[in-house]
Amino acid sequence: MSSAADTAASGGTHGLVRRSLAVGRTRAGLVITSIVVLVAVFGPFVAPESETGFVGAPFSPDAPETLFGTDTLGRDVWSRFLYGGGSVLWLSVLCTVAGVGAGLLVALVAGYSRTWVDELLMRTTDVLLAFPAIVLALLFLAVFEPQPWTVVATVAAGHAPRVARVMRAAVLDVAGRDYVRSAESMGLRRWSIRLGDLLPNVTGPLMVETGLRLTYSVALVAGLGFLGLSGLQADQADWGLMINENRLGFTVQPWAVLLPVIAIGLLTVGTNLIADGIARTSAGTDREVVG
Amino acid sequence: MHESERRVIAAAMEAGGRRNLSRRDVLRGFAVGSGALAAPSWLAACSAADPVGGSQSDEGGASGEPKRGGSLRMGAAGGGSGDTVDAHKPVDRPDINRVHQLYEPLLIRDATFELTPVVAESVEPNDDLTVWTARIRDGITFHDGRPVRPEDVIASFLRITDPKDPKVGAQLLSFLDRKGMKKLDDRTVEFALTRPSALFLDAISEYFQGIVPEDYDPNKPVGTGPFAFESFDPGQRSVFSRYADYWREGEPYLDELVIINFTDDAARVNALISGQVEAIESLPYGQISVVENDSKLTVLESESGNWNPFTMRVDAQPFSDVRVRQAMRLIADRQQLIDQVLVGHGKLANDLYSPGDPCFNDSLPQREKDLDQAKSLLKAAGQEGLQVELTTSPVSQGIVEAAQVLVEQARAAGVDIRLNQVDTGTFYGDDYLSWPFAQDFWGTRSFLAQAAQGSLPASPFNETHWADEQFVSLVKSAEEEVDEQKRCEMIQEAQAIEHESGGHIIWGFVNLVDAYSNTISGLDPNVAGHPLDRYGFRHAWFV
Repeated sequence: MSSAADTAASGGTHGLVRRSLAVGRTRAGLVITSIVVLVAVFGPFVAPESETGFVGAPFSPDAPETLFGTDTLGRDVWSRFLYGGGSVLWLSVLCTVAGVGAGLLVALVAGYSRTWVDELLMRTTDVLLAFPAIVLALLFLAVFEPQPWTVVATVAAGHAPRVARVMRAAVLDVAGRDYVRSAESMGLRRWSIRLGDLLPNVTGPLMVETGLRLTYSVALVAGLGFLGLSGLQADQADWGLMINENRLGFTVQPWAVLLPVIAIGLLTVGTNLIADGIARTSAGTDREVVG
Repeated sequence: MHESERRVIAAAMEAGGRRNLSRRDVLRGFAVGSGALAAPSWLAACSAADPVGGSQSDEGGASGEPKRGGSLRMGAAGGGSGDTVDAHKPVDRPDINRVHQLYEPLLIRDATFELTPVVAESVEPNDDLTVWTARIRDGITFHDGRPVRPEDVIASFLRITDPKDPKVGAQLLSFLDRKGMKKLDDRTVEFALTRPSALFLDAISEYFQGIVPEDYDPNKPVGTGPFAFESFDPGQRSVFSRYADYWREGEPYLDELVIINFTDDAARVNALISGQVEAIESLPYGQISVVENDSKLTVLESESGNWNPFTMRVDAQPFSDVRVRQAMRLIADRQQLIDQVLVGHGKLANDLYSPGDPCFNDSLPQREKDLDQAKSLLKAAGQEGLQVELTTSPVSQGIVEAAQVLVEQARAAGVDIRLNQVDTGTFYGDDYLSWPFAQDFWGTRSFLAQAAQGSLPASPFNETHWADEQFVSLVKSAEEEVDEQKRCEMIQEAQAIEHESGGHIIWGFVNLVDAYSNTISGLDPNVAGHPLDRYGFRHAWFV
């Protein structure tokens, strides 16, 4: 790895994170996201009731010894809420990692091939981009039995072409710079240039994309859960599923719907704020460099 | 996915595929009872005391004399592009609703489960139940003004049992000799059976055995029902107008009936609350208190004999061991299932169907939850720590919910039930009737009629693969038995066998909960297992 790239890499990534954190909206996003993540991760340990136990008549807002009443089957809403975040969270993270990873791979290949491979990959993503993500997801899940892994594959497949487009542009930009030319002239292999020179210099857009994709993942995963397509067992607590199974009782027992709605909303807003903060910082960085 | 959305998909799948006689056609029928005529015991809890089908005493218990006029809009649950107004092919609820308005069978079970003459004035058997004679009501006419003749009755039954295109009611009439129907005089028809059967009255008193003209054309539907066809937009709305020459004096009171389809439960309820419709079927349990608290609306709750069993295949592992079946039945906490799934709107069951049958065996002890006994049975069967897969599907309200409750109850007995949730199309697809452990929903029938549908080796929907020899021979003898008391004894003996070793877990009977606006009257509880007083709009009226 060239020393120039090395410097750019460390300065780029760490500096970007540090500078982003100085931005108010990133910090606000981080706080909001952390709260929801903490609830999702540690909720099951502090839940007063089990995920599936019955504590009262269905849809009673004031069932004794419950904080937020009971749900459609008479289970404790508060406990279901505390249990229900895990699936949304880990499925969203997996979707994001898989989708961004796949998209990045395509971008690194396409953006630095300068051959017909670039054309082929990009025209393919064009075709995939023609379908809205949710339609693609529903199509996949209609063909394959909904399982957690098929959900991840489906949502990730929806992300990949979008990530690939954005990241290819970033890669193309970097690929024309002098240190890449110099690495080429030193006879480095193309893959080591990709990983050593290109990748470290596109971390800004990459982080923004990751943040954005995480936001979309949360919405998609929760949406699929709402439609009963997240592949979880019917009695398992899941925020998306909770909204669906309790929506008919909303006028009587709003908490069973409101709690997961608020949590999903906060998670989406939080991750979006972080992504936005990084985006602004990274845009500023670019201007500084260019300027 | 929510139930209503599934229904749309399932309906779409069905529309593309099998539209002839299927499981659901018969199931949705929620048919009636055996030849016996006494009122069922569970009526005591209902207020449906006024007889239906007399001359005109159906005004209900509501305020004052019925008034003429008005157009009633009704919110129907479900429906799709495959819907029909064919007299003999009703599949989903809106189809059944329409059939009740346009057509009438020879007899029907009334609000108290008693057989009441409709198109027929009387139906009498010979001494050995092989020949039945029906006399057509004097002066009854079709919507086009023509009188009902024996030729029309014979043509209707030939159409229903057409071997090339059997309709919903064909299976029930398997004992009918198609060539043996004879016109005796201008108002009398004779039916010959290929074997003696006390089930004949049940078979002809189904709503899907309506009498239609000899030249019946389902595209221009004509029947003898209280309302005549105006227009029909499948899955959207149906408009029917008052039939002025209807044979029940004064009825119907409404000038017009409009049936509007709602595939979404919440939308249906909102339409009622906002006054877009005057009545809705299937009020979701979660919304009952909303309607109850609205002084302009009334909740109509009817007990029924509808049941949603868990089905264990008696010829498949691990349920082929009777001890495992018994253990599973002991694991179920029936009251909790009713409380959590039906929000209390149901009645405790004892692993037996047909509670309304006058012969129903109520001397058997009520089965209660007994986890110790269940565990020791499982241990004896070598099935400690049993792991089974339960196939569930939102085929009817509360099915998937019941599965979730059973999973939780089984956990307490150390039995691990995994839920295999499939969509409605898959459930009734190729694997239907071969799932080792699944669920289903059934309507209100008498014992013999129900056994013929689901508990005999030759039954079309024997989900549990039940084929107990003694049971089969008892049911056969009961069907041929002329003496009612002897028939009852056989039925009770057969029920004792099912109670001891059958493959159903029958935990409760479902109450039907509907709602209507206080601007209308004349709808009362009805045990027939159909919503809104068995879609009794002929005796509904605007206050």
